[in-house]
Amino acid sequence: MKFNHAFKRTVRELPFYTEDKSVERPEVPDGLLKKCNACKSAVFVEEVRQNAYICPHCGNYFRVHAYRRIEMIADEGTFQEWDMGIRSENPLHYKGYQEKVEGLREKYNLDEAVVTGKAYIGGFPVVLGVCDSRFMMASMGQVVGEKIARAVEKATEEKLPVVLFACSGGARMQEGIVSLMQMAKTSAALKRHSDAGLLYVSVLTNPTTGGVTASFAMLGDIILAEPDALIGFAGPRVIEQTIGQKLPKGFQKSEFLLEHGFIDRIVERKNLRNTLKSILEMHSAQKEKVIPAGETEVLKKNAFEEEKPLKKVDAWEHVLLARDKERPTGTDYIERLFEDFTELHGDRYYGDDPAVIGGIARFHGMPVTVIVQEKGQGTKGCIAHNFGMVSPEGYRKSLRLMKQAEKFDRPVICLVDTPGAFCGLEAEERGQGEAIARNLYELSGLKVPVLSIVIGEGGSGGALAMAVADEVWMMENAIYSILSPEGFASILWKDSKRAKEAAGVMKLTARDLEKLGIVEHVIREREPLTRENMEKTADRIKDGISAFLAEYGALTKEELVERRYQRFRKM
Amino acid sequence: MIRKLLIANRGEIAVRIIRACREMGIETVAVYSEADRESLHTQLADEAICIGPGPSSESYLNMERIMSATMVSGADAIHPGFGFLSENARFAEICEQCNVTFVGPGSEVIRNLGNKQIARNTMKAAGVPVIPGTDRPIPDAKTGAREAKKIGYPVIIKAALGGGGKGMRTAFSPEEFELAFQTAQKEAQIAFGDGTMYIEHFVEHPRHIEFQILADSQGHVIHLGERDCSIQRNHQKMIEESPSAAVSEKLRNQMGKAAVKAAKAAHYVNAGTIEFLLEKNGNFYFMEMNTRIQVEHPVTEWVTGLDLVKEQIRIASGEALSVTQKDVKIQGHAIECRINAENPRKNFRPSPGTITALHLPGGQGIRVDTGIYTGYRIPPYYDSMLAKLIVHGENRQDAIAKMKSALGEVIIDGVDTNVDYQFDILNDPDFQSGNLDIEFLSTHEIGGVRINEV
Repeated sequence: MKFNHAFKRTVRELPFYTEDKSVERPEVPDGLLKKCNACKSAVFVEEVRQNAYICPHCGNYFRVHAYRRIEMIADEGTFQEWDMGIRSENPLHYKGYQEKVEGLREKYNLDEAVVTGKAYIGGFPVVLGVCDSRFMMASMGQVVGEKIARAVEKATEEKLPVVLFACSGGARMQEGIVSLMQMAKTSAALKRHSDAGLLYVSVLTNPTTGGVTASFAMLGDIILAEPDALIGFAGPRVIEQTIGQKLPKGFQKSEFLLEHGFIDRIVERKNLRNTLKSILEMHSAQKEKVIPAGETEVLKKNAFEEEKPLKKVDAWEHVLLARDKERPTGTDYIERLFEDFTELHGDRYYGDDPAVIGGIARFHGMPVTVIVQEKGQGTKGCIAHNFGMVSPEGYRKSLRLMKQAEKFDRPVICLVDTPGAFCGLEAEERGQGEAIARNLYELSGLKVPVLSIVIGEGGSGGALAMAVADEVWMMENAIYSILSPEGFASILWKDSKRAKEAAGVMKLTARDLEKLGIVEHVIREREPLTRENMEKTADRIKDGISAFLAEYGALTKEELVERRYQRFRKM
Repeated sequence: MIRKLLIANRGEIAVRIIRACREMGIETVAVYSEADRESLHTQLADEAICIGPGPSSESYLNMERIMSATMVSGADAIHPGFGFLSENARFAEICEQCNVTFVGPGSEVIRNLGNKQIARNTMKAAGVPVIPGTDRPIPDAKTGAREAKKIGYPVIIKAALGGGGKGMRTAFSPEEFELAFQTAQKEAQIAFGDGTMYIEHFVEHPRHIEFQILADSQGHVIHLGERDCSIQRNHQKMIEESPSAAVSEKLRNQMGKAAVKAAKAAHYVNAGTIEFLLEKNGNFYFMEMNTRIQVEHPVTEWVTGLDLVKEQIRIASGEALSVTQKDVKIQGHAIECRINAENPRKNFRPSPGTITALHLPGGQGIRVDTGIYTGYRIPPYYDSMLAKLIVHGENRQDAIAKMKSALGEVIIDGVDTNVDYQFDILNDPDFQSGNLDIEFLSTHEIGGVRINEV
């Protein structure tokens, strides 16, 4: 309620601001405040700085200058800058270009649009390159290309990983075709670095577009991005003008790219240093723990031997148990078998299939690549993971991660649990058959140990695409078959209702398959596994994995591949 | 001298500060949220500037908007009141950078006193008693028992990473110590994965006794006696009084000296409060120093005859204190009851709404500080305090009688209040005899309600 009558005003005792010049009037000093370009509110510069250059009101990410970024990422005082003072020759003799570059150099006290050098992150040495958007939108001209190429070459020479923070408008127009060539130059340098088995982590920040996206930014073994960053080849305005349409909200943002399979992870700025540190650590850790031969026998015994004979269970009952809703799914196993799991997303072609979850983790401290088929839990979870029915993107993601494991000499552990490859229009359009075939083909020659464990349903080719392994194990209540009993009955007997009968003749239980030599080991479930009671069983699986890694880790690459070849050759 | 003061607060304290300024001939600028368009402080100030939507984070806590309002209005000083930005060192620092007088201590002082460890160390070094405890982690029960003996029983064993009562045990004698230590350590190990333990003297059934101090920029520091704020619910004070029934003239001198020492050690300037825990045996320990005007400041004003807000403004203008320690005489007894819009029978659930009819008591020895009026709509965003009822009597008994009479006259229609609950506290025999400690409300059933301490 507002009062109808106003209160009487204060009777002023002093005249308001006399001519007295000695009285200093309040004033906001320059540089104390600035405006957030997203929420338009005034923010304290110092507060923004302390908040990792994120607007404290709306969470908008401000661009970070190269040296500040280095401060935020590298161990204090460890950065040594390289290759300063390289100058462009103004290849087009573009009018005013030289002056502009000189002006910016002076204004920001920056060498060029990228700062490169060597630093330590969490104690791990890296070659670090950071773009600075203040310098002509960090566009890539000859100097940027040269500095990146030299840094990468030096990294190859010194066997160091590379971390590049991309932020760029693209190629530098003022340098014309010479600028275009920098895309090829930087990419070529990275190819050599990669061929030397070295790690490259690319971090995409707002905005990463044009020729930078189409070269070094998209070539990381692992590609991270800050949230809500614009990442694309053609700029949104150009696309809109060309096609004459408005672009949907969120188009070309980090989240869009993650969904479309082009980046591994979105990492909040505050977590970037730690994420980088853990990735570097994962790629520099000791390869394996040596387990004496005698001990592997004990471990195997723990894992696979049974105290008393199993009671006979009808095949159909196994089918029902394998499909049970209470049964643990892939993520439950990841949680219990591995440490420090870092999920990596995307197939780098089209999408990120939620039916496959993959990434790097540690097994007793040793880095391994883990890929699971995830059915999801609860109605929502099942829908989100498409009930574990894998799309071509899922197989391509798993293949990408397997190739990555091969590059870094990490064993691969796959957990199989799928009713079958996704059966649908889109899957066929994108080459479901090709994707499965490619996995069988590539896996057969993968030069690192591969172990597959069927934890639930091993449905047909969809399962096999992740089970061309050195050894395949099955959980006691898992099944593995040419197709579902329903499908079998329907094809052979034209009656899917006879599934129960089909299960009986298909030889799909773990016991049957062990006898047939399709799987090496069966892991006993003392009672049907649930998320609650799986702890002890998980410990036994861990013993089995330890023994497997010790045994197969000791083989040469040639022996490994030959044994795997023979394993399937004799079937 | 301050010419125009912006009040970065709302409710009764904003009104209280505006009144002081009106009397001093200082123009006032209110800031208000969209939910406070019709609030009394908005209407009473000479100017009022809207600083954003209802939620405090977007208005009363938004430093940028408050600073913009200061610049736009041409105010040369800011009074932060209590709560909100009052103890925010960063805000005080920004005021300093913008050449705006912040009515309170300097940003550095706020920052240091806001850090528990720094504050404790400062006080310890200055010889102000702090709760005895180990500064270093205790590895095992044997070392612990030795330390506990030094500290004095009873002791409390705490996990370094503790919280929520986990990894915490008390031992009342050396016989109990070993088991208590081991249990606490095991618990901490399980709960936090870390068995680092500290030991501290356990202050049993303490009173919350705080000392008001005033310090000017010339280095004068005086204390204005104590306030007993033992009647609390989950650390929220409900009734405060001055003087305390438990503080003798001798103890007042002793504690007052410690308070002055504390303020000096912190290089404090402006009005502040030093909180102590007072043990039954008369030992007292520094808890923390509040670097702002407090809700319960009127009880001190009444027994000392000083206007604390005016003193704050004068100190901020660089003037010396108008009184010396000798001039401070504690006269009579003052009690304050906080009247909140909440329902004690429903676990003190806040009760926002519109006040449809209002009658507040008055008369000799009765003061009401409030921002409410008939037709006022209580916004849901802020704390539930509606008014402070303060009485002054010749002695404690007289003051209690006056408070009971005054509470009995309060009528606030339209929302639930704690008036009856307060009335029942005043009727409790233990309260009347002054036999109280900070656990009073959880150990006494008041009007059928007993507080479950978390």
